[in-house]
Amino acid sequence: MGIAETYTRGRQAAVARPGSIILGLVVAVLLFDLGVGLATGDNSFSGVGSLMWDGLMRGLVIGLAGIGLSMTYSILNFANFAHGDYITAGAFSGWATTYVVAGLGRADIGALFLVGASGSVFGGTLGIGVTGTPLAVVAGALVAGGFTVALAVVIDRTVFKPIRDESGITLLITSIGVAFALRYIMQFVFSSSVRGTTAQPPSVSLYFVDGVVRINAHDIALVVVAGGLMLGVHLLLQLTTLGKAMRAMADNEDLAQITGIPTERVVRAVWIIGGGLTGVAGYMFVLWKGTLGFNDGWLLLLLIFAAVILGGIGSVYGAIVGGLAIGLTASMSVIWIPSAFSRAAAFFVMIVILLVKPEGIFSGRSTA
Amino acid sequence: MSAEDAAGDADAAVPEETVPDRESEALLEVREVDAGYGDLQILTDVDLNVADREYVTIVGPNGAGKSTVMKSVFGLTNLMGGTVTFEGADITGLRPEEIIREGIGYVPQNDNVFASLTVRENLEMGAYILDDFPEDALEAVFERFPILEERASQKAGTMSGGQQQMLAMGRALMLEPSLLLLDEPSAGLAPDLVDEMFDRIDAINDAGTAVLMVEQNAKEALRRCDRGYVLANGQNRYMDDGDVLLNDEQVRQEFLGG
Repeated sequence: MGIAETYTRGRQAAVARPGSIILGLVVAVLLFDLGVGLATGDNSFSGVGSLMWDGLMRGLVIGLAGIGLSMTYSILNFANFAHGDYITAGAFSGWATTYVVAGLGRADIGALFLVGASGSVFGGTLGIGVTGTPLAVVAGALVAGGFTVALAVVIDRTVFKPIRDESGITLLITSIGVAFALRYIMQFVFSSSVRGTTAQPPSVSLYFVDGVVRINAHDIALVVVAGGLMLGVHLLLQLTTLGKAMRAMADNEDLAQITGIPTERVVRAVWIIGGGLTGVAGYMFVLWKGTLGFNDGWLLLLLIFAAVILGGIGSVYGAIVGGLAIGLTASMSVIWIPSAFSRAAAFFVMIVILLVKPEGIFSGRSTA
Repeated sequence: MSAEDAAGDADAAVPEETVPDRESEALLEVREVDAGYGDLQILTDVDLNVADREYVTIVGPNGAGKSTVMKSVFGLTNLMGGTVTFEGADITGLRPEEIIREGIGYVPQNDNVFASLTVRENLEMGAYILDDFPEDALEAVFERFPILEERASQKAGTMSGGQQQMLAMGRALMLEPSLLLLDEPSAGLAPDLVDEMFDRIDAINDAGTAVLMVEQNAKEALRRCDRGYVLANGQNRYMDDGDVLLNDEQVRQEFLGG
């Protein structure tokens, strides 16, 4: 193979997929810049390592929260904008439980139920954390999941089911209304203050080339819970009859009906499973970041949408991979740009990847 | 036709007990059905019946409403009038997931496999409504279509058109229905595979499953079947044994291209 042939081939690739070439160049420049920074000492390996770990944690939160959104999208064919507020609702229900369990007898029960609205009780004072109050945290996570299941099922029954046969746009706009209603009910009940929820968790410092990367107990809890649930979803989809029926329905709903799959029951199962995952994701999100406000889920929703679209909307595996990509991008972008732009960077990367692969990373292998 | 029958029965003064008996002979009975999609009516007063173990085909020009008859039986159209009975029970207006429990399997013409599921998973979905997985039925399907066993863990979407058609039939057979509805089983198949497909349908029928089939390939379908219906403009035109229709000058001229 001569130089001329190589040149011709390269030229063809450049003409056929200009996006890939530009993307490759940009990545090369960024990596070169990072390399220079590391060599000159402007960036430390441990600093980059910390950012990567932080991005991974964010990615797990986004990915876990994105599974429910992707499931409902693939089976019900609409983008549920209320999903972000399901996350917040799960978080509030779970954290109210955690506060009550951890602080019973030590503080006013009303204040505990309202998750310390207006600074009446502080999570830090109660010593809340996976190591300090493990029982309260487990109970909170379970209640968060259970409450969000109930919420998702009730809203489906009362709001979405009657308009199931309408177009996706009708459902989407309705879901935006549901989102607003939920959010401001929560603001009304729990106040708009952003409160600290956890005490400083214990952490270990791992030596990494030229410094340390700190990993705390809540990071570990997030990895365990998110990893476990993702594995659980995978097994559900691949091994159980219900999971296969969900994939079948995502694949071809008309055929699913003809085959005798009770589609309404599968829809309910999707809300139950998706709702549970979403509630637990909301709880773990707050446990990990240590603060809770009524806007948390709504703000996270944009990143979740970015992740889900990036991964190929409708694919559960795409949501996980997309979540990790968006989380890592948002965290690691501060190496090159001011941190105020980290969300913008995540969306920019989403757009660039979609320009190269418009169907998303996991397109074409629909997996419910 | 049916009017003559009824008249004949009345003349012979048939004892009353034999009336339900005669009705139960017809496995499927479609009576004066008007049906369509939304407000659009396609079928007018369509009558059709299939006896136990019978092999019946519906032929007719494009747009005659052949597939609509089948979909009406399976609860997929807007039924505006008439009745559908199966094994003596009224199934008019039931939903597909209820009808499938009655013992009717349906293989649609297009998109009839779950492309992203494996062959085996497709067959499992066919038995979804059963509480216990029917290993025997799966064995029987694999025996009938060995290629499906060979490719059990392959994604259905990666198989050829003929193999997908076999899979779709296999999925419908998982419930061992007493009536199988086949919508254009030869559509999109390479010519050399068409004959093979008809042989397979013969075999399914020989094993005791009644078949109601819509076919574009009218001559071959009439040659193979017991009885045929000719439909045009959403109405019954002719009904007789397949061979009779095949040799009927009128039918040949109008519908079989001479």
